[in-house]
Amino acid sequence: MSRAHQLKISVAGVRGVVGEFLTPNLACAFAQAFGTYVGPGPVVVARDTRASGEMLVHAVSCGLLASGCEVIRIGIAPTPTAQIYVADIRAAGGIAVTASHNPAEYNALKLFNGEGLFFNQYERAELLDVYHQSEFRHALNEEMRRVVIDAETAPERHFARILRHVDVERIRRRRFRVALDGVNGAGSVMSVRFLRDVLGCELHAIHVDPEKPFPRDPEPRAEVLTELSELVVRVRADAGFAQDPDGDRLAVAGETGRVLDNDDVLALAVDCALRKKKGPVVVNLTTSSAIDDIAVRHGCPVHRAPVGEANVVERMRRVQAVIGGEGGNGGIIFPAVHYCRDSYLGMALLLERLAETGETLNALAAGLPRYWRRSGKLPFEHGRVGQMMQALEAALPGARADRTDGLKLMVDEGWVHVRASNTEPLVRVSAEAKTREEADRLYELAVSLR
Amino acid sequence: MTRPGSTLRISAAGLRGIVGHGLTATHVLDFAAAFATFLEAPGRVVIGRDPRVSSVMMREGVTGALLAAGHEVIDLGIVPTPVIQHAIRRLDAAGGVSIGASHNPAEWNALKFFTRGGSYLSSAQSEELLDIYHLRKFRFARHDGTGRRAEDAGAIDAYLDTLAAEFPMEKLRRFRVLVDCTNGTSGLILRRMIERFGLDLILINEALEGRAFVHEPSTTKKMAELQLAPLVRTVGADAGFLFDIDSDRVAFATEQGEAASEELVQVVIADEMLERGCGRLVLTNVCSTALLEEVAGKHGGKVVRLAVGRQAVIDALAGYRMEQVAVAGEGTGAVMMPQFPYVYDGIAAMLRMLERMERRGGRLSELIADYPPYTILKGKIPVRTRFIPELFDELEQRWPEARRNRQDGLRLDWEDRWVHVRVSQTEPVIRVICEQRDGAPRRLFDEVMDLVRSYSG
Repeated sequence: MSRAHQLKISVAGVRGVVGEFLTPNLACAFAQAFGTYVGPGPVVVARDTRASGEMLVHAVSCGLLASGCEVIRIGIAPTPTAQIYVADIRAAGGIAVTASHNPAEYNALKLFNGEGLFFNQYERAELLDVYHQSEFRHALNEEMRRVVIDAETAPERHFARILRHVDVERIRRRRFRVALDGVNGAGSVMSVRFLRDVLGCELHAIHVDPEKPFPRDPEPRAEVLTELSELVVRVRADAGFAQDPDGDRLAVAGETGRVLDNDDVLALAVDCALRKKKGPVVVNLTTSSAIDDIAVRHGCPVHRAPVGEANVVERMRRVQAVIGGEGGNGGIIFPAVHYCRDSYLGMALLLERLAETGETLNALAAGLPRYWRRSGKLPFEHGRVGQMMQALEAALPGARADRTDGLKLMVDEGWVHVRASNTEPLVRVSAEAKTREEADRLYELAVSLR
Repeated sequence: MTRPGSTLRISAAGLRGIVGHGLTATHVLDFAAAFATFLEAPGRVVIGRDPRVSSVMMREGVTGALLAAGHEVIDLGIVPTPVIQHAIRRLDAAGGVSIGASHNPAEWNALKFFTRGGSYLSSAQSEELLDIYHLRKFRFARHDGTGRRAEDAGAIDAYLDTLAAEFPMEKLRRFRVLVDCTNGTSGLILRRMIERFGLDLILINEALEGRAFVHEPSTTKKMAELQLAPLVRTVGADAGFLFDIDSDRVAFATEQGEAASEELVQVVIADEMLERGCGRLVLTNVCSTALLEEVAGKHGGKVVRLAVGRQAVIDALAGYRMEQVAVAGEGTGAVMMPQFPYVYDGIAAMLRMLERMERRGGRLSELIADYPPYTILKGKIPVRTRFIPELFDELEQRWPEARRNRQDGLRLDWEDRWVHVRVSQTEPVIRVICEQRDGAPRRLFDEVMDLVRSYSG
């Protein structure tokens, strides 16, 4: 592991390895900076199921109270649920203690404004300045506010918003048989309630114990979801769902147990959403061109944003998008519910579509435009991305270039994209083309360049 | 609100200051992390707080730091400090933290630390803790080794079990007792004592308050005179007591509605314990009343004089066997008894005084009327720190015939009176205390105050 990345304090917040690097002292100071920036007012605090979450919640509460904010603790809750709660109660802001799909030894603070959204890049820079300058608001005893515990209402608020946009009776009537891998994450309890009680599914759930550690790599990719695939086959489920520890990402397995490509899941979701309402679509630069083809079928435009939920959401707000997301990582953003990546909305949309069409997931996926994708990662070295960009552009003369996030080169057959990860010391390489050979060629070309 | 310069004090006694104006969340986290490192994880740590709003902020910080180090945190909620110390013993915990500023005004707060057995830290332990704090080399657990938090709602009842084993509660029911809780933690204990033991306690200012207390939470005679004494006769009580916020100190008034000197708490308890033959030694500081020597002399006991402050008492106690000691404490109404392993405990002090009333069968006013009249005068004056040594020299030269004691500042003794001049540990002032048998030492006190004043500003 690179020395520089065991702790990262950036415009994205604080992320680090718990223990030596991400300490309660740092979390407290950062929370006080946050409270100074958004407060004084109520700030919602949630966490995922990482054991270190408990100590960080207390440290964060301390910093928020010290800045004069009221602390509303909603306990273990998925990130989208926390975001919706912030918006619902019109809080001053929110902090989710979660390192999302990162390994268990990490933890992080995800920060939200009073609307339950990520701050824009300028606000994030401003907040970071407050932290670095230690210009904190220090409340006196008479100005201090309390801690309120609400471990009950957050899931209901989230469900209520989703149910306004899907035909829940239609889903319930089908009594779908569904398999779930909750990764023992923040959604463990809530997802069971959602699928079984709200959507009326016959649920077969694994890893839904919030007291237990993550049973697998927490990022829900096909390679780590074999248990789910086997479960789908064994119980003959109509669909299999897998979440990440904070419930924003969703992976989907079809009725044969095959885990669908995340880009295909997003494409299905985009199709579902555009059937409900026409409008612009926003995805990140690395998302499949299948999205463009779907949007064209509905006569809707597609906008591309740099990678990262905050960037996608920012663009979605600007163009009044009706759906958006990030293909590679299984994030579906449906603004009618909230501007956040939401695995629950994703599950509901897909089940609704199955109910509407009477088709299977594999059949629906088969109807999607067919592309071949390759993606991978290389260890980050200073200067490496720049060299790769230069060499790649020279190797593909005449390609259309997009430099908003690393370099994406578009040729007639497909595209290739090289960029530095925002969260890990990695260089990410993606390529897509109409044929497997062409996708391989573009990918191999990029990773061979040093 | 006035905002004086610096209010933060980090010392052997812990961390103390005005919250948001000197004492910040960063201090809380760092100090708690230092203590968590000092205790050597993983262990069990008991915490409790007073009702101040800022105590919630401090509790969150302390909890976060202790959990991060891998300790198990047992949160007692709002409880008196003696209950925290009792729970540390009962739960065989590695230590504890009391969050609250005791007798300071509402805008203040503090952290007090305890080790195994509920003991205060020795000077050597405090120094080690301070070293860790200053180095900021805190030990934290790995992500899968962080601690868990639990609550223990039974701490007050378990503490009352111990009180019931020591004091004859049945017999104390005959006294009607008025208690001013000053919106602090004593109300929780006393209300439960009424329920469990049927004691006839009338509680005033019982409601816990977080932002402002009904009056300053000090246990001086002046406060008892102002807030407590007038009501004692009105309700026809046999005694009146007044507690500070965390119930470690107590003041009292007689059934006649007269406030007693705060010095007398220690005297009455010393009298009781020495008379019963529980130990021979009375440990007290250099400026507590000379009445202690008279009372000790009566029973063949001995007074050991120490520097001012809890720390001096704690360090001295380490050198004696428990059965040697009758009582230890200070003239502020803070008293420790060996039966409550050397914890400043205002509730136990109150019960001991009631027990003495019961045993002697007299009224409280008669009980203290037995003592020869001593009058104590106290004053404080800000001075320029630079000239303090000269001040002490001049005082010595002014009264060359007096007996000198420079254990802590300067104490001058004559046959029937004494004066003590020292630098405060908590405020930037010089404190003057002067006592005389039979009549107020007004002239001596004024002369000393004038001399000290000539060094101020």
